[in-house]
Amino acid sequence: MRQITYKIERSDGAKSFVAAYSFPYQPGKTVLWGLITIKETIDPTLAFTASCRSAICGACAVRVNGQALLACETPLDAMLERFGDTLTIGPIQNFKVIRDIVVDWEAKTKHLTESKTWLIPKDEFNALQGCHQSAADFKQINTQASCILCGSCASECAKLTASDQDFLEPFTYSKVWKLVADTRDKSAPERLKAILDKGLWKCMHCVECVTKCPKGLAPGEDIARLRRLSIKLGYTNSIGAGHAIAFRKDIEDTGRLNEIKLTLRSIGLLGSIAKFPLALRLLRRGKLNPFHFPGKVKGHAQIQAILKAVRESDQK
Amino acid sequence: MLNFDVLVIGSGGSGMRAALEAIRQQGVSVGLMTKMFPTRSATGCAQGGINGSLQHADPTDTIEKHFFDTVKGSDYLGDQDAIEYFVRHMPNAIRELDYFGVPFSRDEEGRIAQRNFGGASSPRTCFSADVTGQVILHTLYEQCLKYGVQFLSEWYLLQVVVDQEQLCGVVAYDLKGGRIVPIAAKAIVVATGGSGRMYWTRTTNPFSSTGDGMAACFNAGIPLKDPEFVQFHPTGLAGTGILMSEASRGEGGYLVNNLGERFMARYAPEKMELATRDLVSQAIETEIKEGRGFGEGLSAYVQLDLRHRGRETILERLPQIRDLAITFEQVDPIEKPIPIRPSCHYSMGGIDVIDYRTCATAVEGVYAVGEAACITIHGANRLGGNSLADIIAFGKFAGKGAADCARQRSMLSSDIVDLGARLWEVKFLAVTSRKSGASITSIRDRLAEIMWNNVGVFRTASEMAVALQVVDGLVEEYQNIIVSDQNKVYNTAFVNYIELGSMLTVAKAVVLGAHNRQESRGSHYRADFPNRDDENFLKHTIVTKQGSTYNISYRPVVVTTYQPTERKY
Repeated sequence: MRQITYKIERSDGAKSFVAAYSFPYQPGKTVLWGLITIKETIDPTLAFTASCRSAICGACAVRVNGQALLACETPLDAMLERFGDTLTIGPIQNFKVIRDIVVDWEAKTKHLTESKTWLIPKDEFNALQGCHQSAADFKQINTQASCILCGSCASECAKLTASDQDFLEPFTYSKVWKLVADTRDKSAPERLKAILDKGLWKCMHCVECVTKCPKGLAPGEDIARLRRLSIKLGYTNSIGAGHAIAFRKDIEDTGRLNEIKLTLRSIGLLGSIAKFPLALRLLRRGKLNPFHFPGKVKGHAQIQAILKAVRESDQK
Repeated sequence: MLNFDVLVIGSGGSGMRAALEAIRQQGVSVGLMTKMFPTRSATGCAQGGINGSLQHADPTDTIEKHFFDTVKGSDYLGDQDAIEYFVRHMPNAIRELDYFGVPFSRDEEGRIAQRNFGGASSPRTCFSADVTGQVILHTLYEQCLKYGVQFLSEWYLLQVVVDQEQLCGVVAYDLKGGRIVPIAAKAIVVATGGSGRMYWTRTTNPFSSTGDGMAACFNAGIPLKDPEFVQFHPTGLAGTGILMSEASRGEGGYLVNNLGERFMARYAPEKMELATRDLVSQAIETEIKEGRGFGEGLSAYVQLDLRHRGRETILERLPQIRDLAITFEQVDPIEKPIPIRPSCHYSMGGIDVIDYRTCATAVEGVYAVGEAACITIHGANRLGGNSLADIIAFGKFAGKGAADCARQRSMLSSDIVDLGARLWEVKFLAVTSRKSGASITSIRDRLAEIMWNNVGVFRTASEMAVALQVVDGLVEEYQNIIVSDQNKVYNTAFVNYIELGSMLTVAKAVVLGAHNRQESRGSHYRADFPNRDDENFLKHTIVTKQGSTYNISYRPVVVTTYQPTERKY
């Protein structure tokens, strides 16, 4: 009989180890079925969480061969076809592990609280009469409101994996954007100001949060929306905003990037001097030529037309 | 000792709404204890919506119509004073949710949108796409964070400690910390949800719906009310019980047996597949019982055929149903019929609440709300859209009731709570170090099987007598069960062990209540007593426990406005 194996990255709360469990294959099952089979027939000490088994409660996010997913809705056959009959399963990343596949949400909850991720209703509304919102405005927040706090985006986020000291979980930015975009909320400027120094400009655009979200959210895009709005509201005094503005200006002016100008505009003269060692290294490798000032690229007019179209669609 | 003025247990909609109200009362400390991370609760599974007579979709809707629909839906077993109080408060309760930030779908005028639902005489179900429960749950969580409710996340309720009908506190298992903790409290709100998992794979409920609070209160001397009323949803997926929403029948799906017949013609020749939930469930089970189903035993099923509706319609109007069928049954309804069978969906019965305005129970300091409680507004059958309504309206009343109570009460001596915790330490060691005995899954599966076969959609005296014996036998076996995990940190095997105990405790009350109720009413269908009997059974079942003995008594139903008449749809 065909056997399949889960290699599970476990820990008992103190030490970590890998345990391999083999059990008979059954067609048409889910990744969660395998975990339950192990717990019920091989090893009752295996700890994991799961509840609704229909992808709405968010309890069963795990990593299978390095990909965060909801165990309850992921067909086992698809995984076996892709990776073979042995799967490596571990807790989602960028969370403190409590035991086995169970992770701790406490630090993440704190970020939600610090970012004030609750509605601050406009003064025209009250609790007795509720609020008003158009059907079109509801559609602006509908997608972000379907976040189930499963943590998959945070697990695969390249920035969080590099350092979680100066960045929030992608879902937190989506929640902030949901509130900024909510026409019932009055605190968009304050919300933006509050997250400017909470990593708004640190996203590395790896897009893992977008591809991993089981509910169709795109936290990376929400971060981009927050950035655009912050510039529009005049919060341009940061490296990230400066860099984005300089980047656009370069493209607008010549159609190509000038790294020296980009650095000067992003972080100013003093900041640029601090980057001198890096510049020297680039110079030595032939990656930087301070005397090369190329003119406009061919087809510059078309680039400007594209930029104009983007600006116009943004205003809509 | 850790202590709270108000400790809420359970973080679904009712628990969070209660905690929010309690902390907004000022001057009381509020804790919210939950066995999983707060937003994992069953409330999130509710798709359809929340009922309230806002008169947006239908200006002719009235509070009175919502009142009557609920009374009729309950098959006249709901207490009419409580139902009236409930429907009157719903419009404001929903508008308040809007103010809290629930993203409701909107009508053309920017008001909360409303749609039609089963058993309602006007469209009054407010919704947010098909994720109403999930967005209400998450919005309440946001509000609880805002007001600084202290969450005890992943703390499991082991015992409600009561002395001389007065609350002392609770004993909890802190999963992450790996310790058993006594907590003193002036008031608790038990909001731990339903007990549908006693039917294990034959339920739409999440794994966590194991009746923990019902059992803990019952063991502490608080009665269970109307436990025999269990709602079965006709279209659960065959293998897992996962819910195929009512839309599948609404959109014209056929129910077909192994002879290829649309068998509803035998049971409801006019309404066919669109008959009420209880009737369709009973028809499907009859087909299976008489050998016209597919498969065998607990995994037998009939088919829900949508193919004639065509690819376009299925893709456009039933996308979620198609997704679920593909993911969980590997069946694409465009090409093949979906295997389905009724699934336990909701517990109408629960912890006996004796004051609907505060959700107080008979024990001073203990409040109960939501599916865990029985107030009772749902009577013998709950209407769709009334469960989210229930938890929002009564969650608020319970939170206020508990806060008011806490202000008037002083903390009782905590010695007895402390002693309780130490006894649980001993118990933990004993059960986790045991080397032989029945496994949790073996007892759980046998419980589910006997409950489904003998105390499910169809019930007869003789089958239930057998069920009672089997459940008693399982309770006996449970005393010597093995848990096989001695680690105190996040010991889910130990949690499953207590959950199984809760299910056994509540299941026995379900069997007894059902056995003694010699009539058919709402979800409770007695093949040997097929008619409603108002003369003898227009009354609530009250089950109490003394030692290990269960006693049954009855309490009259409160009838204020609508005299019972035959329920026809």
